[in-house]
This record gives sequence, C-alpha cells and structure tokens, in this order.
Amino acid sequence: MSSAVSAKHRSNLIIHLILIAGAVVMVLPFLWMVLTSLKTTTEATQIPIAILPAEPSLRGYMDALKQSPFLHYYANTLMAAFMKTTFPVIFSAMAAFAFARIRFPGRGLCFFLIISVMMIPNPVFYTPQYLMMSKLGLVNTVTALWITSLVSPFATFLLRQFFLGISKELEEAAVLDGCNPFQIFIHIMLPLVKSALVAVVIIQLLWSWNELQWPLIINSSPEKLTLSAGLATLVSMFGTDYPVLMAGAFMAVIPMLVLFFIFQRRFIEGVAFSASKG
Amino acid sequence: MNSKSRYAWAYLMIAPTLIGTLVFWSWPAVYSIYLGFLKSENFGLVSHWVGLANYERLFKDAEFWQNLRNTMFYVVLFVPATIVLSTLFAVLLNAKIRGRSIYRVIYFLPQVTMAAAAAMVWVIIFAQDYGLLNSVLGTHIAWISDKRFAMYALVMVGVWGSIGFNMLLILAGLQGIPRPLYEAAEIDGAAGFRKFRSITLPLLTPTLFFTSIVLVIGATQIFDSIYLIIGKTNVALPAVRSLVYAYYQNSFIYYDQNYGAAIVNILLLINLILTGIQFLLQKKWVVYD
Repeated sequence: MSSAVSAKHRSNLIIHLILIAGAVVMVLPFLWMVLTSLKTTTEATQIPIAILPAEPSLRGYMDALKQSPFLHYYANTLMAAFMKTTFPVIFSAMAAFAFARIRFPGRGLCFFLIISVMMIPNPVFYTPQYLMMSKLGLVNTVTALWITSLVSPFATFLLRQFFLGISKELEEAAVLDGCNPFQIFIHIMLPLVKSALVAVVIIQLLWSWNELQWPLIINSSPEKLTLSAGLATLVSMFGTDYPVLMAGAFMAVIPMLVLFFIFQRRFIEGVAFSASKG
Repeated sequence: MNSKSRYAWAYLMIAPTLIGTLVFWSWPAVYSIYLGFLKSENFGLVSHWVGLANYERLFKDAEFWQNLRNTMFYVVLFVPATIVLSTLFAVLLNAKIRGRSIYRVIYFLPQVTMAAAAAMVWVIIFAQDYGLLNSVLGTHIAWISDKRFAMYALVMVGVWGSIGFNMLLILAGLQGIPRPLYEAAEIDGAAGFRKFRSITLPLLTPTLFFTSIVLVIGATQIFDSIYLIIGKTNVALPAVRSLVYAYYQNSFIYYDQNYGAAIVNILLLINLILTGIQFLLQKKWVVYD
C-alpha cells in the first residue's frame, strides 16, 4: 500500500515538474518584457546578459509616451474595440434569436449567406474593403478601423446555437400574454443566454484589441494607428532602444491582462465554450 | 400574433447583420475573385479584363511556389507541434493534481497577449549576441536572420501562442471521456501509456480532429509574426514568406492589387478545400462515442 502511495506521489511530482517547465516558458516572455522595460539601453544589450536591471528606471515608459503618439494608439484602439464589440454583440444577438426562434420565409438562405463568409480567410476581404473605404474617403481615419466590423457572422452562428437550446414553453406563455417577438427577445431570451453573451463580448474584445493586419493596411498616419500597428512602427522609430520598445509592448498588453486576471474564469470558459459550440 | 407581423419582426432583427455581412464581407469576397481577372494601371484608375493572365504569371513565378512551400512547411511544423504539446499538457492537467486552475491561467496568458507585443519581446529573446535564448542554450544562432532557422523561430512563437487555447479544448474533450472506462481498463491491468493509447486517444479523436483542422486553416493564413518578427528588410524573408505576406506585399507595397488578389484567391481555394475535407471527414472518419 505504502509503495503504491509513494508511486502515486512520484508520478504527481513528475507531472508538476513538466507543468512547471511549461509554465516557465509561457511566462518568460512577459517577465522578460517587464524586466527589459526597466533596464537602461546598455543593460538591455550587454554581454553577458543582465537578468535584472541594476537600477530599475521608468525612462523607457516616459520616452514611449513622449516621443511616440502612444496615447493616440490607445484612444484609437479603445474606440475600435468598443465599436467592434458593442455593435456585433447587439446585432448578432438579435439576428441569432430570429434565426433560432422565428420561422420565416427565406430563413435558411439568409442564414447561409451570413455564415458562408466564415469559410473565407480574412485577407480575401481586405483589398475590396480598402477600395470601398477609398471610395468613401475613409482611408486613414479612425472610422475605417471599425466600420467594416459592425457585424459578426461568427457571433451570430454561436449565439444561434444557444437560442436553439432554450425550451419552447417560456416563449409560449409570453406569446399568450401578447408579447411581440422583440419583447420576448429582450425580456425572456436575453437573460437566458447571458453567459454566451459574455463569451462573445470577450472574444470580440480580445480579437479587436489585438488585430494587426487591417489597421496596418487601412491607416498609415501615426496618429490614426492602433496599438498593434503602432507597436510595429515603434521598432522603426526606436531601433534597438529595447527598454522603450518593451515599455510600449507592456503598456499595450496591460489592459487585456488586467481584464483577464479579474475575469479569468469567464475568459477561459467563454473562449473554450464558444470553440466547442462553434 | 399573426404570421405577417412575426415575419416583419424577424426581418427587422436580422437586417443589420444580413446587410452588414453582404455589404462588408460577401461583396468584397466576390469582388476579390473579380479583381483576380483584371489588370489595373495608374494606381487603379483604369482596369481592363485580362482573363487568367494573373494566374499564368503566378504559376510561372518561382517566388509564388516558394511562398506556397513556406506556408505548407509552417503548417506541417506548427500544427503537429501544437497538437502534441497541447495534448501532453491537457493530459497532465486532467490528472487529479493541485493547482490546476493556476496552470490553466498561466498557459492561457499568451492567448490574451497582443501578437505585436509578444513578437517584440521574442525579437529580443532571439537576438544573436545578447538574446536570452542563445544565452540559455549557449549558442550563437541568428534565429531570425539566418534562413535555416527563421522558420523554426516563427514556429516556436506560434506554438507558444497557441498551446493555451488548444489545451483547453483538448482538456474539455478529455473530461468528456467516461471514468468507468479507465476503471475497467485498470482492472484488466492496463496502466499509463497503454490506457492513453487504447482509451484516451480513440475517444479524443473528434476533439483532436476538430482542433487540427482549425489550426491548419489558421496556420495557412500566417502573417503577423512574419511581418513583426522577420520584417521586410530581413535576408531570411524569402525563406519564410507566406502566401498572405506575399499578398500584403504585392497589394499594399508594390500596389499590384490584381496580382495580390490572385495570390489570396489561391489561398481561398486552399481553405475551401480544407473546409470541404473537414466536412466530409467529420462524417466518416471520426469515432463519435
């Protein structure tokens, strides 16, 4: 018996060792980012490497904020993320409800038209969208960052799965009370899919906060860029001044990291949940 | 409530998503295919129909084939590595050990990190002279500017950024395997790897299959890390340039939108084939319990 216990003990120890090794690799880039951001430029590029900054300094942060339009990047990213989260979630919830709970002529075709774009790689859309923005005079504007993403086929598809799973009885009682479909949607259905809505909010937020290619294509003036695209240009501004680059990178990831630590359960479950339904 | 007014509500509620999708996504997709048959001059002011000329040029272009090979090579390295490591960590986390939720949070961290920020720190870690990786390994490799190593550097970053999410999916799949199966196997004297091979793996195939296909589709579209880590002036770029990078370069740096469209339309074709395979195999091959 005791040998069985110690064998169990030993295998648990091995499991922990492997998991810890993995965890170190996962965290190391963050740690290195923070440590480098606090170093002096010479410390960041010295041989042999210095692991800890001798005298931690915030110079990198000051320079990133003062010498680049960092606050513009922040404001633009916030704006784009807000628009690309709020509208797709509202519109998708409405459409998903209608597709799942109302029978109407053309339902199958409309649904197919919407979800068929999910099979298409994003870069396929970019040139025509660019030409469209150019016709509308929106190239190099903050509006262009979000205007093409006010709807989300993926979120519509996902939320429909959840609306399909709700029993019919609740709805029937409301119909007898004389509620119209929109009232049923707002008062009965939405509260029932709250966790799915949270998942969709998280996915949209993460995706729009971190998106790189579209902002890079559509906008070029430094003060119209998002954090993602802005960071890419910091490299050309600051070269190998690594503390500044790392300070910028850290400031760019901090909002999502904080949200993640506050809502970690929601994040992890939301993302896994949606993938399993999707 | 009569059905006419129910219909009216339904159309009203789908209208924003339907119109938005058609205008901003479906139409551009159709237009991209059309662009592939045109040749424009004077920055797109005049265009004329050239039939398959863009594709003929593409198929004769050695660089295109190299880019296609690079993309496939990335997929072939990245997907199995991600699947194997994600499965390993998922299986370990599925054991009854302490601190599971802490591990889950840590492994998920790269998932909430902006690719651009992560890429910048990786560039510093990969640096030849004062980089952390070479210091730890005791090597002096130019990870991102030597064409023999650049692809592996990209795969490393890709795998680092994908394990957390895929591990969660696989973990969810593992938790769906009924415990009594393992208990029965233990009574029959099966242990460790044997249990993994004859129970876990077969019952996990639907999850692994779904995860792999999603990873393959995502990996064929690799762009961010090439743009951010390798960069346009890097001598190793030809050895890692993907289809999407070539699309970006031709469309928005060389301003040849039609050639760019031809490249991205080939990618569309590849992705449609992959989705078709996914759809067919899902019905046939996967062992659903």
